[in-house]
Amino acid sequence: MAAPRSWGLWSFCCRGWSRVLPGCRLPGLRSSWPRGPLGARPLSQEKRATETHFGFETVSEEEKRGKVYQVFESVAKKYDMMNDMMSLGIHRIWKDLLLWKMRPFPGTQLLDVAGGTGDIAFRFLNYVQAQHQRKEKRQLRAQQNLSWEEIAKKYQNEEDSLGGSHVMVCDINKEMLKIGKQKARAQGYKAGLAWVLGDAEELPFDDDKFDVYTIAFGIRNVTHIDRALQEAHRVLKPGGRFLCLEFSQVNNPLVSRLYDVYSFQVIPVLGEVIAGDWKSYQYLVESIRQFPSQEEFKEMIEDAGFQKVTYENLTSGIVAIHSGFKL
Amino acid sequence: MRTLLRGVLRPLRAFRSRPWPAADVPLRATSHGTGLLYPEHIPTTPLQKALLAAGSAGMALYDPYRHDMVAVLGETTGCRTLKVLRDQMRRDPEGAQILQERPRISLSTLDLGKLRSLPEGSLGREYLRFLDVYRVSPDTRAPTRFVDSEELAYVMQRYREVHDMLHTLLGMPTNILGEIVVKWFEAVQTGLPMCILSALFGPIQLSARNLQVLVSKLIPWAVQNARRAPCVLNLYYERRWEQPLKALRQELSITEPPMHVQGPA
Repeated sequence: MAAPRSWGLWSFCCRGWSRVLPGCRLPGLRSSWPRGPLGARPLSQEKRATETHFGFETVSEEEKRGKVYQVFESVAKKYDMMNDMMSLGIHRIWKDLLLWKMRPFPGTQLLDVAGGTGDIAFRFLNYVQAQHQRKEKRQLRAQQNLSWEEIAKKYQNEEDSLGGSHVMVCDINKEMLKIGKQKARAQGYKAGLAWVLGDAEELPFDDDKFDVYTIAFGIRNVTHIDRALQEAHRVLKPGGRFLCLEFSQVNNPLVSRLYDVYSFQVIPVLGEVIAGDWKSYQYLVESIRQFPSQEEFKEMIEDAGFQKVTYENLTSGIVAIHSGFKL
Repeated sequence: MRTLLRGVLRPLRAFRSRPWPAADVPLRATSHGTGLLYPEHIPTTPLQKALLAAGSAGMALYDPYRHDMVAVLGETTGCRTLKVLRDQMRRDPEGAQILQERPRISLSTLDLGKLRSLPEGSLGREYLRFLDVYRVSPDTRAPTRFVDSEELAYVMQRYREVHDMLHTLLGMPTNILGEIVVKWFEAVQTGLPMCILSALFGPIQLSARNLQVLVSKLIPWAVQNARRAPCVLNLYYERRWEQPLKALRQELSITEPPMHVQGPA
């Protein structure tokens, strides 16, 4: 019986699609879907329905991936400098707060997705190294002496200063990874760091591999956020933690107005003057407005299978850290 | 006066009546959508134009190799001057033709073979020699983006593309000294604020000897010629390739430069 199956398919597509794109406004589309006939809907209509937002533009989903790639390819070289300029350095505090919320201990396996230039990864390495050193100092104070092997290892610099911690930086964009690697070399980060080219919607890792999954300022650029969340759930170990740092909806009306003026009037100008690229930064501020609110995103994370999902607003909601556990 | 005002307000009205995703229209100028006046157009609010003008001026002084910043400065500060230029182009018969036909100077529109075959001393041959010797290409001119009128955007684009012609007419090379002389000429001819600012601030980076030569000989010569000559934007260069350069210079009352300025090549 073809009719009931196609109706089921239609209603499933409709529901799933409207949930994935909460902010999308496509006024013309509803009228283009055929009403009435019980026969199968032509396949071309289903293809036309897979449109999504690119900032305030409407593009097809295949196009969005390519366009986002181009945006980050062009901003990669000045990415860090522009971040400092646009957020007046506050983005560093946000990223520090993410690490403090994470509280990794030596031995943690971290996967940092969309981690391009390595900000989170470097902070993680600093944190676990500091933790490891503190632990060693405590041990020394308690025991007052080390075994011969440990002393020999110290002299040969063979000891693992990270205590077994490891961070995998995964990004879809080669340019961003290149900048990240250059930074790592310049700042002397070698151990415990790996760089992988990969898509957040289809991670090149096995199931149950990581203790913590972070994605900082990256998930709003993903075409299918639900798929990225499902992948996050898959690669985390049971007991693993999902952490997302992302721009979100401001809850204070005065701050919201100032933020709007600043975002739309100043940021593209900064992008043009400093990086010579107006359009990428226009996309950036528009994509922030298209991202779901804190509550909606919390529900999406819960739908992917995470539990104990919470969020914390930073700077009146300009940025929010969402956290969930795979239990 | 009323028609002029209407002409200015028309693009702004179209801007406001577009369906926006958010209620606060003036704050959220987007750079895509159906309100574009020409393909590369990026609509900007007055606040954005002011910030762009200040930012691009600062950046151009800080990093002189950012030619795109000089271009942006010209677009954001030149609104009124572009209108004056456009009006005087309309009054001139050759200028009016240019405005109607909208010729562009780029590698795709120039017939390099034909230009090379022209006799020595003709405008086309000398222009081509200028391009070859100084290794410049007419395609490096950035497209106009922040001018909120299609016709004025063309006038700005035409001004940029004619810049190389001016180098040929004045016999100036593309080093910093030559560029400053051409900027002084353009400043007096067009009155664009960007040209005036470049002409005044450009010489800051020059050595004392060059500065002395510039101020004593080259600038007075450039200013004198600029005041005498009719507006260079009114010349339909594409129809004058065969004209001998000397004849063209005589037509524009441009004299030989007081001294030979050594080029970078």
